[in-house]
This record gives sequence, C-alpha cells and structure tokens, in this order.
Amino acid sequence: MKSDKTMTPPAETKRATFLHAVAGRLGWLFRVREAGIAAVVLILILFLTLATDNFGNAENLAIVARQIALVSILAMGMTLVILLGGIDLSVGSVVVITAVLIGKAMVNMALPIPLSILIGLGVGALAGFINGMLITRTGVPPFIITLGMMGLARGAALVITKGNSISGFPKPYLEIGQGYLGPVPYPVIIAAVLALLTHIMLSRTTFGRRIYLVGSNEEAALLSGVNVNRMKVIVYTLCSMFAATEAVVETARFSTAMGNAGTGYELTAIGAVIIGGASMNGGEGSVIGTLLGATLLGLINNGLIQLGVSSYWQQVFSGSIIILAVALDTWRRRSK
Amino acid sequence: MQETILLMKGIRKAFPGVQALDGVDLEVRPGEVMALVGENGAGKSTLIKILAGTYRLDEGEIYIGGQQVHLRGPKHARDLGVSVIYQELNLAEQISVAENIFAGREFKNKLGLIDYKTLYANAQKWLDTLHITGVNPRDEIRSLSIAKKQMVEIAKAISLDSNIIVMDEPTSSLPTVTTKSTDLNEVQVLLEMVDKLRKRGKAIIYISHRMDEIFRISDRITVMRDGKLIGVKNTGETNPDEIVSMMVGRDLKDMYGRPKAPAIGDVVLEVRNLNQGHRLKDISFNVRAGEVLGIAGLVGAGRSETARAVFGADARDTGQVFMNGKEVHITSPDHAIRAGLGYLPEDRKKAGLFLKMAVKTNVSAANLGAVSNGGWLNNATEERISREYVKSLNIRTPSIDQLSKNLSGGNQQKVVIAKWLTLKPKVLIVDEPTRGIDVGAKIEIYNLIHQMAEQGVAVVMISSELPEILGMSDRIVVLREGRLVGELDRKDATEEKIMMLATGVTSEVLV
Repeated sequence: MKSDKTMTPPAETKRATFLHAVAGRLGWLFRVREAGIAAVVLILILFLTLATDNFGNAENLAIVARQIALVSILAMGMTLVILLGGIDLSVGSVVVITAVLIGKAMVNMALPIPLSILIGLGVGALAGFINGMLITRTGVPPFIITLGMMGLARGAALVITKGNSISGFPKPYLEIGQGYLGPVPYPVIIAAVLALLTHIMLSRTTFGRRIYLVGSNEEAALLSGVNVNRMKVIVYTLCSMFAATEAVVETARFSTAMGNAGTGYELTAIGAVIIGGASMNGGEGSVIGTLLGATLLGLINNGLIQLGVSSYWQQVFSGSIIILAVALDTWRRRSK
Repeated sequence: MQETILLMKGIRKAFPGVQALDGVDLEVRPGEVMALVGENGAGKSTLIKILAGTYRLDEGEIYIGGQQVHLRGPKHARDLGVSVIYQELNLAEQISVAENIFAGREFKNKLGLIDYKTLYANAQKWLDTLHITGVNPRDEIRSLSIAKKQMVEIAKAISLDSNIIVMDEPTSSLPTVTTKSTDLNEVQVLLEMVDKLRKRGKAIIYISHRMDEIFRISDRITVMRDGKLIGVKNTGETNPDEIVSMMVGRDLKDMYGRPKAPAIGDVVLEVRNLNQGHRLKDISFNVRAGEVLGIAGLVGAGRSETARAVFGADARDTGQVFMNGKEVHITSPDHAIRAGLGYLPEDRKKAGLFLKMAVKTNVSAANLGAVSNGGWLNNATEERISREYVKSLNIRTPSIDQLSKNLSGGNQQKVVIAKWLTLKPKVLIVDEPTRGIDVGAKIEIYNLIHQMAEQGVAVVMISSELPEILGMSDRIVVLREGRLVGELDRKDATEEKIMMLATGVTSEVLV
C-alpha cells in the first residue's frame, strides 16, 4: 500500500524543485549501496595514515595499490559471474595454469612476449569456456563444476612444472608488473582500464543488461528472449580471461611462475565482490562496489603489516570483515 | 443469536505514510463462517496480522470470548485460540505431516528422544477426527498437493484447540471447479472441511477473492475498502454484484466489458499435432487476428505446457507452428519473440517479473533492441518508452525507477503486459493473467486484453476461472490429460459443458 498524496503548496514548489535538483545531483551519494563501504575505506585510510609511520609514503602506497589492482582484476571477473547468479571457484587455479604456460612459452620455448601472453589469455578463455559449457550442458551447479576445474587446472599446472617454479622472464615483460607510468604502477593502470571497460559494459550495453536480467530471474530472462546458456558460457569465459590477465601481471610482478601459487585467490575475489555489496543470488552488485571491496581487503592486509600485527592474523581479519559486511548489508535490506 | 467469540473494535494501524486500518470492526460468532473481502490493499492482511499477534495495533480493542486481550505476539495469540492459515502455508516441507502438526510439541520418550510411535498415532487421530483421507502422518509435506497441505494446517489448528481459525485465500492456488463430482475437486474438499469446522462450533474467518466460494460457504460477509469497514451483510440477503460493488466502490455491470462484435480476421497462429512425452498428445488449434481464444482445463491438463511448448520454452517431440500460414521453427523463446509471439507466464513472480529490478528495466527486458543502438543502451529512449506504457496501462508506481517488487500484484501484472506490448506481438499468450489480483485490476487487465484484440492481436488466454474464460473468449478449447477434447463457440459455451469436457464426466453423473 503506497500513498503518494503528498501535496506541495505552490509557495514551496520552487524551493522544493531546487532541493530536488540538488538531491538529484548529490543524492546518489547517500542512496547507493556502495556509500557505506566507501565511508569505511576512507576512515581506514585516514586511520592508517595517522596511526602508522609508513602507510602514507609513496613507496608503500604503490605497494598497496598494486596489491589491490591484482585482487581487483580477479574480482571483476568474479563480479560478472556472481551478477549472473553463479560462482567460479577455479579462478586461482586458472591463474596458476596460465602463469605456468606463459612461463613455458616465454622462458623455456623463448617465444615472443606478445604471443606468449596471447597463449596465456587463450588458455584462460578455454578454461572458462569449458566451465560454461559444462554448467549449461550438464545442469550441474557451477559450484561443483568450477570446484572440479579448480583441481583439474592446478593439477595440470603441477604436472607441467613437476612442482618446480619457472623463472627468468625477459626484462621487457617484467615491466608490465614492475614498471611505473609517472608515480602509478602499471598494474594499477591495467586494473583501472579494465574496471572502466567492465563498468561501461555493465551499465551501458545490452550485454551488461542481460547479465543483470539473468541474475535477477533466470526463468523470466529466458522467457523474455535472452539466450541464457550463451550468456553463461560467455561470462564464465570472461571471468577466466580476467584470471589469465591477473596471471600475466602477477608473473611479471614476481618474475616467477609456480604450480602451487594462487591458493585462496578465489576466496579473496569472492570476498571483494561480496563486501562490495553484491548478492550471492545474482542480479545485484557493481564494479565500483567490487573495487571498494578489493580496496578494503588490500588496506587491511597492508595496515596490519604496518601496525606490526602477525601476517597470520590477516586472514582472521579478512574473514571477519566479510561476515560483518554481509551481515550489515542483510540488516540494511531487511530494515527497508 | 449466539454470543460473540471474537470482537475487534475500532482497530487503527498506520505504517509510514499509510493509514492501513482506519477504525475497522470485525465480529465473529462460534459456528459461523465470516467471509472477509476487499481488494488488495484494503487492509485485510493487516487486520489478520493484528489478530495473529504479528502486528501491534495503534488503537482499538480486541475481545476474545468476552475478555479484552492485549496480544503480545504470535504465540500469545495462538495460546488464546487463534490459528491463522496463511496463503503461503507455514509448513516445513521436508519433514513429515505428524512432525508438522506437533511442531514444537513433540512427544519425548524416557531418553528425551522423539517418540515417533506416539507422534504418528496422535497425528493419525487428528486426521481421523477431521475425516482427512489420503494423508499419511509419515508423508513428507512436499509430497502433498496444496489442498492436502491445507488439510494438515487445519489438523494442526484443531489439535491446538483453536476456536478462531483464519484462512487466508486458501483456494487461490487451486483450480476453480464447479462440478458436483467431489472426488475430482480439491476446492470442494476444502469447502466441506470448512463446513465441518463450522459444525464443530469453530469460528472461521475466510478470506477469498472468489465470489462463488464465498457465497457457497459463508454465513456473513465483512467488506473492507481502503482500510475502512464498508459493511457486514448476511450472505443469504445479498448477491455477488452487491458485494463486488461494495469492494470497489462503484457498480460493475459487466466485469468483462467485452465489445459486442469483434472484428475477427485471418488465422495468425496455427499449431498442428503438438506432442510432448506423455504430457501433450496431438494438440492442434488455431487463433485468428482480433480473436480471444480461451484454453480451459483442470490443473495438469497440459494448458501451460502447450503454451510453453509453442513458445519454445520447453522442447517438443513433434508439432508444427505456423504464423500467417508460414511454418516457423521455434526452438527457444528468442525465436518465438522474433516470430511475433509473446507469453505472459502463469507465475508472475517466478517467471514474469524481475522483482529486484526497476519498472523501466522490466518493461524493456524483452525488447532491448528498441532501447539500444548497436548494443549500446539508450537510457532516454528506455525511459520514454517506459513512461509511455506506465501511462497508457495506468500502472500505479511512484516512478519508473521503482523496484517492481514494491508494486501491487495487479500493477506488477501490468508491467509484465507492458513488457510484451513493447514488442507489438501478433500473438499474445496470457496464462492465468488475473491470478491473485484484485477486482479493480482484473477489470483493467480484461480491458487491456480487449484492446489488444481490437488492434488485431490474436490472444490466447489460459484460465482456471470459468467465468473469466466464458466472459472473455470468442472461442474456447478444452484440454484434458494432454489432449484437446473439445471446442466450444462463445454462444454455446456454458460452465457445465466446459466441465464435462474437462473432467470427462458425463452429464448424467453431473446432474
């Protein structure tokens, strides 16, 4: 039952219109779901700047930003999958298999850098395509399929490297992970560009709209003429390609590829998306939210180091933050 | 006159921005069925939730058995003998009938474990007391039909020794069947149960939108509108027309408002020999431009299955679909839409709406091509189209940015209709288009269907409400057990004829 019989007296109309216009411009600040998390991020930055000696210096900021960038790239792919109402547990393993194959191509086979990167992205795309095809053709839940892919891809990486790490990447390649444009590390630029593109795709294109429709109500989307299966295959493929991109940046950053790296990445990525206000049921979430979620996790990790807290505690904090964020969001929704 | 068991007096309740109840009285006597009617939003649910202890009242008094009571919560209300059987049923699906009946009051043995033998025996006792057949205390709730689940709720209410039983739209998800052959008919069984409860001296508050049931079962009728009490009538001294006009506040001569002579054109959609497993067998029918074709049948007869198979939502084994005489190969809803079909599904919330999405997003969902350019969304176009339809369909929403879950059922349904109208379909299949929406919105939807037909759309209407099928259709086909068993012209069709075809029962049995 809604009543909108509120009448505005003529004298106040002008003022109300003006206020309305102002609220229209600024109101989003208060309305958007991301506002709460943005506030937390700002408070945390302020606190860390004041409470620690080194947080605010340029060197540390670059480290934090790069760390956040790596998580963000992965989490953006996860955002697409979660928006669609799915989940992808295999992203950490896809990072590893991609990293190892790029290493093989570039270091062991001495292939050109661009070709090696393309191979890496291709492998990522293939893994995601397989995920998508299995999910749509078998009807087995994404949780199970991608759990299988998680083991499969990591196993393959270990088989290929026989447990050894690959290092000795060429210098120009390492620039991608270690270089700067002015004061800004390249990984941050890569993440920012990807974030912008993903944001535009989600908010301005019919493809992005269809992702929200499928995630919001799969049956209704199907009956509205959305090719749901094709959407799923494309989105899982994209998610894995984000993981492959992360692998490129990460190998260039650490100049090494290992079969046993990348554990727990999927949880960090899911955590960032969830903290960013996305619903695990699909249809709700945004790139901005995810970036804020990744930022929060990155700040907590770095902040704990700066505060001299044992790194073992980091996961305890990250886990608590995830529970707290989702609990607050659930509470906020219920109180509406 | 008997004494009053429940008296609610001058009940007022406000929610932010809305006076939901504005001084409502309700009086019920033992051994009486009091029907409570009103459009959606009239305040029936709020009143019931106050009685159930879920909401606190702002003002007013409640007397149960002559004693004034101040309800502290649902448990308090239950202890005072009030049981509410909600539309959506509050049963745990995956545990047994007996455990549901005695939820929270399990029988324990010496070890403190549940004594299943006593539990089942006691549950059976209550089922027997009420002569409920076909329900075993050991059955899992989810294995039962909706009507049987309601029986379990009733058994639970009786076992709690409730004297005031509220039934909130108990038949809204059951088919209306007006035959006299009881074994076919879940509504009939339910109404008989209500009668049994009345004979046991229980006071029953029966909420329903269905006039036929209200007039068959109730002793008195309380009518509400806009949070106010409009009047109380003795059922024997009134008629459905009077009640409906009290509900909507105006006279309703002909709800279906059908234009006299529809201009019916050529065959637009033709379906030939549709087969799907054992669900659909050899179904053939056609529908013409400007025509409303009704599809009648009992639940499970294959009506929605036919629609979904034609629309490409479900696979079919064999069967051809022709549009304007040309065969089209529809294997997905996407194809169907491109061929000029639209399908308004039966379950609005599950399959029709994007509940968490804005009205405008819902309106454009099936026709993103019209609001985009080369894959880029054009917000201005989307908003303009959406405003147009909100206006022309009289969709009551504060804005096109409102989430569709916040709209009333009737307005939600209009949003789904708008979604299809943006496509300007040649054929629109509407499946239970007025289920669970109030009379006023129903009439608006009937008018919309007529308007579409007048503009040359071929409309296929599936409905379980016979008066609706009879009032709206130019022609009616009847399905039974996956077969098309008959076709009736508007002028020959009667409820009896449709039911004979739908049930396969011959006329001698019926009379």
